[in-house]
Amino acid sequence: MINAVLVFNNNGQPRLTKFYTTLDTQTQQSLIAQIYHLVSQRPSSACNFLPLPPLLSQGAASSTGPSDAPTQITYRTYATLSFIMISTSTESPLALIDLIQVFVEALDRMFENVCELDLIFGYETMHAVLSEMIVGGVVVETNIEKIVAGVRSQEGTSGKKKAVQAASASLGRGALPGLGAWR
Amino acid sequence: MLRAVATKLTDPSRWPRFEKSLYDLIKGLRTHKGGEDEYVQSCLRECKAEIKSQDMDKKATALLKLIYLEMFGYDMSWASFHVLEVMSSSKYLQKRVGYLGAVQSFRPDTEVLMLATNMLKKDIVSPNIPALSLPLASLPHIITPSLAMSLLPDILSRLSHSSPVVRKKSIVCLYRLALVYPEALKLGWPKIQDRLMDDQEDSSVTTAAINVVCELGWRRPHDFLPLAPRFFELLVDSGNNWMAIKIIKLFATLTPLEPRLTRKLLRPLVNIIQTTSAMSLLYECINGIIQGGILDGEDNLQERDDVATLCVGKLRGMIVIDSDPNLKYVALLALNRIVTTHPTLVSMQQDVIMDCLDDPDISIRLQALELAAGMVTSETLQVVVERLLDQLRLATLSSPGNAPELEIGSSVHPETEDPEESKTSEVSTSTAVALPNDYRSEVVHRILDICSQNNYSEVVDFEWYVNILVQLIRLLPPSEGDEYWNQNSPSQDAAALSKSSTAFRIGSEIRNVAVRVRGVRLEATRAAESLLLVDNRSTFFPAGSNVGNDVLGPISWVAGEYANDLLSPSRTLQSLIDLSNVTLPARTLQLFLQAIPKVFVRVNQDAGLGMTWKTETSLLLARVVEFLEALAAHPDLDVQERAIEFLEVLRLSAEALHSDVQEMPSLLASVLPSLFMGLELNPVAFSAQKKVVLPATLHLDVAFNDDLQTLFHTLDNSQLEASQRGSLQDFYYIPDLISPPAKSFPGIASIEMHPDSSYQNVLRGPTESPGTMERRKLERKERYKDDPFYIASLDSHSGTSTPVFGNEANADVLDIDAIPIVDLKLDSGQPDRVERDVSNPRQGRYKKMEVAADETFGSEEIPSRDYLVPGQVGGSAVAKRSLLQVDSSGLGHLSMASNDGPGAISAEDEGDVEMKKAMRNVEQMRLRMQRASERIELDGIPTEGTLIKKKKGKKKRASSSTQEVTLGDGSSQPEEAKKKKRKEKKEKKEKTQKEPRTDPEELAGKPSGSLA
Repeated sequence: MINAVLVFNNNGQPRLTKFYTTLDTQTQQSLIAQIYHLVSQRPSSACNFLPLPPLLSQGAASSTGPSDAPTQITYRTYATLSFIMISTSTESPLALIDLIQVFVEALDRMFENVCELDLIFGYETMHAVLSEMIVGGVVVETNIEKIVAGVRSQEGTSGKKKAVQAASASLGRGALPGLGAWR
Repeated sequence: MLRAVATKLTDPSRWPRFEKSLYDLIKGLRTHKGGEDEYVQSCLRECKAEIKSQDMDKKATALLKLIYLEMFGYDMSWASFHVLEVMSSSKYLQKRVGYLGAVQSFRPDTEVLMLATNMLKKDIVSPNIPALSLPLASLPHIITPSLAMSLLPDILSRLSHSSPVVRKKSIVCLYRLALVYPEALKLGWPKIQDRLMDDQEDSSVTTAAINVVCELGWRRPHDFLPLAPRFFELLVDSGNNWMAIKIIKLFATLTPLEPRLTRKLLRPLVNIIQTTSAMSLLYECINGIIQGGILDGEDNLQERDDVATLCVGKLRGMIVIDSDPNLKYVALLALNRIVTTHPTLVSMQQDVIMDCLDDPDISIRLQALELAAGMVTSETLQVVVERLLDQLRLATLSSPGNAPELEIGSSVHPETEDPEESKTSEVSTSTAVALPNDYRSEVVHRILDICSQNNYSEVVDFEWYVNILVQLIRLLPPSEGDEYWNQNSPSQDAAALSKSSTAFRIGSEIRNVAVRVRGVRLEATRAAESLLLVDNRSTFFPAGSNVGNDVLGPISWVAGEYANDLLSPSRTLQSLIDLSNVTLPARTLQLFLQAIPKVFVRVNQDAGLGMTWKTETSLLLARVVEFLEALAAHPDLDVQERAIEFLEVLRLSAEALHSDVQEMPSLLASVLPSLFMGLELNPVAFSAQKKVVLPATLHLDVAFNDDLQTLFHTLDNSQLEASQRGSLQDFYYIPDLISPPAKSFPGIASIEMHPDSSYQNVLRGPTESPGTMERRKLERKERYKDDPFYIASLDSHSGTSTPVFGNEANADVLDIDAIPIVDLKLDSGQPDRVERDVSNPRQGRYKKMEVAADETFGSEEIPSRDYLVPGQVGGSAVAKRSLLQVDSSGLGHLSMASNDGPGAISAEDEGDVEMKKAMRNVEQMRLRMQRASERIELDGIPTEGTLIKKKKGKKKRASSSTQEVTLGDGSSQPEEAKKKKRKEKKEKKEKTQKEPRTDPEELAGKPSGSLA
């Protein structure tokens, strides 16, 4: 299962934290800091898998068999933001990379040319998108159309979103070349 | 520009209030650069007031702001009741904020959750699908056993809801319910099964069900065997890659139980491998074949080998052809799993794997390193190690021209040599110049692992190995470990850390080789000698690193123990007693102190031959004594004791030399050497000590005196006759508080009353003349005459003054030699010395080397070297629970098959029995590990008791305090866990308070750029 989904920017400031197991706020923060430390050290050419940070490596079983302990950390960086998924061995590492891609594409549909600012101001929507994809650490939907439709059905009347979209559009951002890299 | 953005974003129609909206908060955070914390605190105060408002809009806004701040580490647990209020709002968007607040901030100890049960029940049956989805998505975060119990019927009914969105979420929600309340699965499983078997079901729902089954699968694989045909059907027909991946993962846990599945699966899997274009699916197929043990069986040898070849070939392709680092990484990951069963197949891919050793990506390198360690044979060992050494050398030189990287591009796969490829390899060259220190020490550890595995069975040339070890010392990274981690894990024991340091390990390896391999002992000792020499130290050990400190200890032991092999004993001795050594750490000095007299004896043997032996020896003695005196007041007790012991012996020798003797005094010529002669030391297995059987006559649990009270009583009345024996008994048996009689015995009292008798003062003057020393000695003799803790010198062997050994009555009891436990009889018992002859035809050109194995009793056990290898710290680490771990162990005990007749097959019952047996074993194992780690705490608690305790603790952590309230056993929460948590919090508080808030740059109008 997926144990946590994190989004933070290049400076390590969290933009989304979702832990599928309860964890006190302080530990959450230090875990984010440790993972940020790992991500920030990696060159862009490196692979998308992180070694376990000290907080997680303590309880990890050494055997290759499945267990409840998280053993994989997959990350993917888009422009200023890094998306991280912490999962157990029941998830496929390559599929998780694709899942991050689905998440970002769904966000892109919601915000139309999504950028970090959109996610800061629309972080409620970001949570809604995530909860259409993952419930309790288990993936429930990977189809972008269905994810977007699910969120739209919740936020039909919200005017806030449009305001954010209008404002962010005026910042003059480019397209999303990274999204084309669909495997 | 930014101002324009701001005005646009502040939509006045939506936020016509005086209170800050979330937007205002974020904007405010950005304008308060540097003083964010103050600003946040003032915002929190406002939120506290606003959230108490009667206006639901205001309340929800305040909550939204709190949730936002929580993301940065600001506590919002105080607002949990208000979260409930917002959750109960009738407006959907407010309700959503409330649920989000609950998900983000509720912890198992949030008490208000109990009040939410009815509201949750109401929301779950809401006709509005978005509103109904909220509790389904949020429950997994906040679920507790009692909540699960009361909500179960409602969730079960949602499994047959008309909307697939609700059905898929309910299935997952039910799974999380089952984790804390296993009964839920028993009732829910038939319904999930219905969803799974229904051909008309929405594909999203089927996928969700498969995902859940995949999570459950490895816990109770037997329960899912009956469904295998359906899984097979879905795998072949669905065409959904996401689901196929999960099904393959699931089959990997099922195939070991049902061999027939293997045959059935093989064809479709091979078909997928050959046809699919999706790399993730291809990889999972290969992974499934490996993990499912499809390659392991004995029958159908030809077919299996074909599949193995196909898999390895595909993996090779992933490494070579695709320049995608992710594929490289996962391919190596898969190869690492194959290598245990098909080492030869993997070692055929050696060329590509070796290239990965020089990959610019550290993650890939580490995987390749592990693989290299797994596939190494005696032929390839030297090549691999030399290659790794080259890498370290390059890193040490930190030369910009990174030769290995260029090799990848040019020599290995010229077919991909296009402009783009060479460009990327250029980029990688520039990024991979500096290797992080932790990677470098990992390489050193791996080299040592590779060479020392199976008691050096792969090493053919030990001279080469010793040479490698010496080179490794030069190549060690300057500082051990990554500073960053050390700061963050204060719990790590400093001593344990240094024990496992690479430098200490290299030193230990030199010692191991010297002890185990007799044939190369000379070379190992010479190597140790050259490292020890003071003149060489600056070249071997760079200044400012602790490398030297860790290496010197073990190698000084080698130099001392095998002093006969030293090239120049006197130079070695000079280096050992160099006064600069005094600053070395205590653990190194301890070993130095043991080596000094050994080497001294060796030097003395040479000196005895010359004409000027007397002056030479006395000069040498004086210098050794001077060094020992410098250590005689060392703060470390072990160092101090050893220094003083040898100091006294050597002073006696010096005295013997001072009188007009013409020959070497016997003290120097025979007594001192005889201290270190005798049987050669052999390696003893780590667990041998535990296997020593206690002699039948040794009763550790029997009290010495059952009637202790009477004894105290008689002592209090001072009726006991004041014999020497009595005084001893008093000292040992009467605690300080009740031992006034001790004062009446001058021998014991003198220890306290004469501070002169401490070790330090004995050595007060290094410049003392022999005359005063003699006088002091006499004084000392006089003073200690009656002291039971000093053995009088031989001339005063007059009965009464030496109560322990002089007394004939005690001699039988206290003669240490007669205590049987001392005699290990390692050589007499079983044939426990296993000598391996490593010679075989292909190694003919090297000397035959005998490698001594560990000596132990009885059956051979896997030698546990965990204490040396930090990466494999097994025992204690496994017992700990991982941070983000969901505890699904409760499901293991549950039998879902009990109520579905047609699916159950007879094998299942056997499986259950097996499972139970396995579970019992696991429990026992856990108990043992737990006991080892909490030995003090568990003192005196029976085994069964501890087991239950552990379970309770686990449950508690997973459940909420609601349960505490209802069950009224809140006090049973382990105190220790609480304390630990508190401590952790304290440590992290400071850190997190500095962290938060927004990016100043963003506000400064820097275009944040799109996600690309």
